[in-house]
Amino acid sequence: MSQLAIDARAVGKVFGDGPLAFRALDEVDFQVAAGELVMLVGPSGSGKTTLLSILGCVLTATDGALELFGTRVTGRKERELPVLRRALIGFVFQGHNLLAALSAVDNVRLVLESRGVGARAAKAEAVELLTAVGLADKLARRPDELSGGQRQRVAIARALAGSPPLILADEPTAALDAHAGLEVTELMVRLCRERGTTVVVVTHDNRIFHLADRIVHIEDGRIADGRLPGAPS
Amino acid sequence: MTVDVAARMRAARGGRLRRVRVTVRTALRMMFYDKAKLVGTTLGVVFAVVLAAQQLGVLFGLLQKNTMFVDNAGADLWIVPPNTTQASPGQRMSTALLDQARATPGVAVAAPLIMIGTSVAKPGGGSEAITLVGVDLDHGLGGPWNIVAGAAADLRGPDAVFFEDAQREKFGGINLGSVREVGGHQVRAVGFTWGLQPFGPPFSFADIDLVRDIGGVRADQLSFVLVRLAPGADAAAVAAELARRCPSAQVVTRAGFHDRIVSTLLRQQLGITFGTSTAFGLIIGFIIVALSMFSAVIDNLREFGTLKAIGLTSWDLTRMLLIQSVVYALLGSLVGLGLVAAMSAGIRSPNLIVIVPRALVIATPIIMTVLCMLASVLALRRVRKLEPGMVFR
Repeated sequence: MSQLAIDARAVGKVFGDGPLAFRALDEVDFQVAAGELVMLVGPSGSGKTTLLSILGCVLTATDGALELFGTRVTGRKERELPVLRRALIGFVFQGHNLLAALSAVDNVRLVLESRGVGARAAKAEAVELLTAVGLADKLARRPDELSGGQRQRVAIARALAGSPPLILADEPTAALDAHAGLEVTELMVRLCRERGTTVVVVTHDNRIFHLADRIVHIEDGRIADGRLPGAPS
Repeated sequence: MTVDVAARMRAARGGRLRRVRVTVRTALRMMFYDKAKLVGTTLGVVFAVVLAAQQLGVLFGLLQKNTMFVDNAGADLWIVPPNTTQASPGQRMSTALLDQARATPGVAVAAPLIMIGTSVAKPGGGSEAITLVGVDLDHGLGGPWNIVAGAAADLRGPDAVFFEDAQREKFGGINLGSVREVGGHQVRAVGFTWGLQPFGPPFSFADIDLVRDIGGVRADQLSFVLVRLAPGADAAAVAAELARRCPSAQVVTRAGFHDRIVSTLLRQQLGITFGTSTAFGLIIGFIIVALSMFSAVIDNLREFGTLKAIGLTSWDLTRMLLIQSVVYALLGSLVGLGLVAAMSAGIRSPNLIVIVPRALVIATPIIMTVLCMLASVLALRRVRKLEPGMVFR
């Protein structure tokens, strides 16, 4: 069996404490093979974004264990998490979350340079990525000068910057119309497949389900079928 | 495909300098992108700088008015009545002190000076107060200076007096050659000075003997003894010897007398008044900058969250805010000092000179930088507490 990109076991998350405590995730087992594209689906409030946040090392689990590409995440010091994120993860957010003050190319460069890539090399890679997402003629445009679909393409280019082995996408089609949503997701899937990148997409947009290798359902903070078939227990 | 996590982690830990560069660049871009906030925050700093620097400039101007006589009299040492805190008319001393001073080793010149309070009678009635300074013209210590008409030597003429140019109208349209009555004596205007107006009445100058006549000062009395040191003489040693020889008076250096006047004024109302208004300027500027930076962070919370999510640390974001606060401080100081310079030039008059010393120009951006960095603490706390997970909400 190939390397596991994600191996989450009995992961739980409780928000708040005392009588106001709310368990958002309960003993979740979730595994994703390297290079696999998994869609995490479920109703609002089911815990899919909480799980994505834990997988993205932007939220710590209350209990359970998480490994990314065989490296333990749970129990690491808080200051180690940004390093893990820079090393392993690219994000595509629901609302693109581009920096309004920066041009398309600078939004992508920012990620590369923050990972230690030199300015010239970062610019070259940013241009290459933006060309790959079809924005070669929009490099200098700022987010407010781009359409919703174009912004999400920049966000995809940013997520791919530095070739992270894992891309986490949170409702990437939510802010787009049906056509643009499908087009952008297809683009992301194609580029990730070309690079062998592992992708987890949180969505409830059934028009993109066909692009997934596997669809995992989450409801009330629990996953019924999160383990890979044949994976060690 | 197998991912070499260790190698990726090593690479991600490196490149700190590049991360510094990119965060500085991003901070500046974010700052200059939001023009309204940029202008608002910068104006806050400008306001603080103008108010504080202007107040201090006026304070320095007022202090200078009171120290200018000591600064310009040309004396290295002053022999003054005990507890003297101003170069102004007051207690008289014996001329015996003059002889003691002249006999002291290291003294090149010792000259008497008399200051009296009197008034100029106006031709149309009424009078204006003046401080009449009687100088020993042979030694040239004690003024006049800032001469805009006439020459000091003209004071050797009979009943000759120098008046303050800014008071010409008040003295009834006085001109060179005009005759006025000062303290009941007819005198003639032979010259004018510019800006010699302390807190009290303006200075006028005349020969010491004429001032004795006008003020009824006995021949064995004087107000101050002005001492010029011989070349190479040690001021402290001569001052100590003079003090020993003149126990009924005090001996102070020029700098010491200057500092005594300044500290006396600052301890009184002047220091409290200007200190308060300067502090208020700084406090208001601090509040504006703090609120503006905090609101900029709140407005851009999602962007800061995104930066954290993509791997920037709290220190990276702290650096961004501190860079912004430094730029706000420098920008605001530059504009503020420019405005203060323009305002100072605009309001410069014999009555008030706003003095912005080089030290204040250098200190302003430093103080404002510290102030703006402190003002960014609220914003910093918010950014440091920011959970990167908020970007998914």
